[in-house]
Amino acid sequence: MAESIPVGHGSDDADHGEHGGHHEMTFGEKYIFPLDHKMISMQYMFTGMFMAIIGGFFAYAFRMQLAFPGMEVPGWGHVSPADYNSLVTNHGTIMIFWVAMPVLIAAFGNYLIPLMIGADDMVFPKINRLSYQIFLLSAVIILAAFFVEGGAFGGAWTAYPPLSTKAEYNLTPLGQTFWIVAVALEFVAFLLGGINFITTAMNSRAPGMKMWDIPMVVWMIVIASILFMLSVGPLLAGGIMMIFDQQVGTAFFDPDQGGDPVLWQHLFWFFGHPEVYVVLLPAVGIVAEVITVFSRKKLFGYKTILYTAIGTGVLSFTVWAHHQFISGIDPRMANVFTVTTLLISVPIAEMMFVYIATLYGGSITLTTPMLWALSFIFEFLIGGITGIFLGASGNDIFLHDTYFVLAHFHYTFYPIAIIGTFAGFTFWFPKMFGRMMNDGLGKLHFWLTVIPFNLIFLPLFVLGTAGQHRRIFDYTNFPDLALPWMQDLRVLATVSLCVMLGAQLIFFYNVITSWMSGPTAGKNPWNSNTLEWTATSPPPHGNWPEGLPTCYRGPYEYSVEGRESDFWPQDEPA
Amino acid sequence: MSEEEHQHPTSHYVKIWAILLVLLAVSVTGPMLEIQWVTLLTAFGIAGVKAYMVAVKFMHIDQTPRFVTYLVTTTLVFMLLFFAGTAPDVMKDHGTNWEKPAWIAAEAAYAAGEVSHEPEHH
Repeated sequence: MAESIPVGHGSDDADHGEHGGHHEMTFGEKYIFPLDHKMISMQYMFTGMFMAIIGGFFAYAFRMQLAFPGMEVPGWGHVSPADYNSLVTNHGTIMIFWVAMPVLIAAFGNYLIPLMIGADDMVFPKINRLSYQIFLLSAVIILAAFFVEGGAFGGAWTAYPPLSTKAEYNLTPLGQTFWIVAVALEFVAFLLGGINFITTAMNSRAPGMKMWDIPMVVWMIVIASILFMLSVGPLLAGGIMMIFDQQVGTAFFDPDQGGDPVLWQHLFWFFGHPEVYVVLLPAVGIVAEVITVFSRKKLFGYKTILYTAIGTGVLSFTVWAHHQFISGIDPRMANVFTVTTLLISVPIAEMMFVYIATLYGGSITLTTPMLWALSFIFEFLIGGITGIFLGASGNDIFLHDTYFVLAHFHYTFYPIAIIGTFAGFTFWFPKMFGRMMNDGLGKLHFWLTVIPFNLIFLPLFVLGTAGQHRRIFDYTNFPDLALPWMQDLRVLATVSLCVMLGAQLIFFYNVITSWMSGPTAGKNPWNSNTLEWTATSPPPHGNWPEGLPTCYRGPYEYSVEGRESDFWPQDEPA
Repeated sequence: MSEEEHQHPTSHYVKIWAILLVLLAVSVTGPMLEIQWVTLLTAFGIAGVKAYMVAVKFMHIDQTPRFVTYLVTTTLVFMLLFFAGTAPDVMKDHGTNWEKPAWIAAEAAYAAGEVSHEPEHH
């Protein structure tokens, strides 16, 4: 029988706030203004999914324009050049800042950290609630921009000046400022959330849980939060400077008046490249949890992954100018950034080898979450390897701003934001909702997502290598890029996108029907070791009302010799 | 260590504030001597000392766990790294296939003696 201690050592104000269990919570307290980390996690999760639908719809609209130029797009209508710019800009912005970050860090971080370290809640529940409220406000602002004069920002998600600072260029006088305000608020939300994650993981662990007993996904979210905290300052400062340039008449980034547009690129990418690892690391952590459970093996090289993640984080601050090789940066710096960029592939490759070593000799079960986790490794490797092509500055001169770059970063971000999310969501669904998902529908959804994904982006590698430049509204204006075979590949990519988007209906159907009437999950349906599986499914407010668990060992003690059972929960005494 | 031992008395903060005021006076008067090395030392050197004192004493870095000190130090290292990586571009008036016309015009005017760098001549 597992030992337990009284509830209440985790959060400072959870037990004394209005939700302290002293009275029945109203609907508003429970669902609209909750303090419970799980409910805040669900708010982030479903807001992120809603934004993913919007971002996906934008992709559908502009891909239809590219495949069938000038047609009336069903559900959107005629896509004008200004519409096109707004759609691609906001697709990128929303998918990274309003989908990948809220789901991977905020939703999973909120849900998993207290449960996996044996705490009753976050240490600062009210800051946690404030974090979501600011995030929601930022989401409203980014979407509201579509309804103001001139429409939503159309200066690309990287917002390079002078295009982004002059309304006569980007044609979105209000949208450009809405964009910056929304992004800045979103960053404030994640700073608040990140502080909570770091503090909770450092201070509220279950008795007996030492540093090396912390599950990998918790480590990864903590490291990602630190990376975010260290990188976001320059971009926030740059954002303020950009608002001044747009609305007050300063010229921080205007070369005609002595400003420097390349300075923005430095400010943006000093944040932007660590940001890739901010969203990557939680996905890497999720995959680590899934593959150990479904290969019934100890995670190969726990400390190796951890040190590798920290090393990746440090290196991620030294590679930013590889985005600027053709911006006219000092060629000597291009050499330095080429070397650091190639270097950062080493720790990432090491992580992939560690996963493969974990799988090797394991008793592998191909459940839906496991399929997602395996496909993460496969697809992310393609993204990583093509990144090496682009990291070499000589090669980048040819490939820069082509669809090769676009396909490369979709092969990194898609496995992170979409595949990683599905791996985590399908894995922890039984804990979140107390019911099992339909595995058959889950697998159908998996194949109908992953195969079209490859059919969208593999052709774009080919088009990019053939010289197809990004951010062009209608390729029929460029005879060299309007060859029939190129148009055929564009149509293939667009049709595949439509299939992939349609397949998400299967996912939503599966979620709703499983939530309503799926088989009851029980506490630990996957026979997993980590502490969240010792709570009831779904866990109540306070997580373990009968008393918080005690930790006796690391999280990955699977198939230990001499034990009858092939798993060994962290809270089970020796 | 108990809570009381962690907290400094109010007089401690007043003392730090007084030191900061003295340093401010030095950093204002230093450049008035118009000696380059004194200007550098009093402007940048004292700014560094003041920032250190504010961070350590008023932001209580000296009373927080070692982990926080490491985080703050890391931000400083990254800031220097950012300056080092950015300076080769933003501190120049031209580079590969680009130039800053406003800078070049200002420098040409200065070289021609049309503009002095002395503020009172503007």
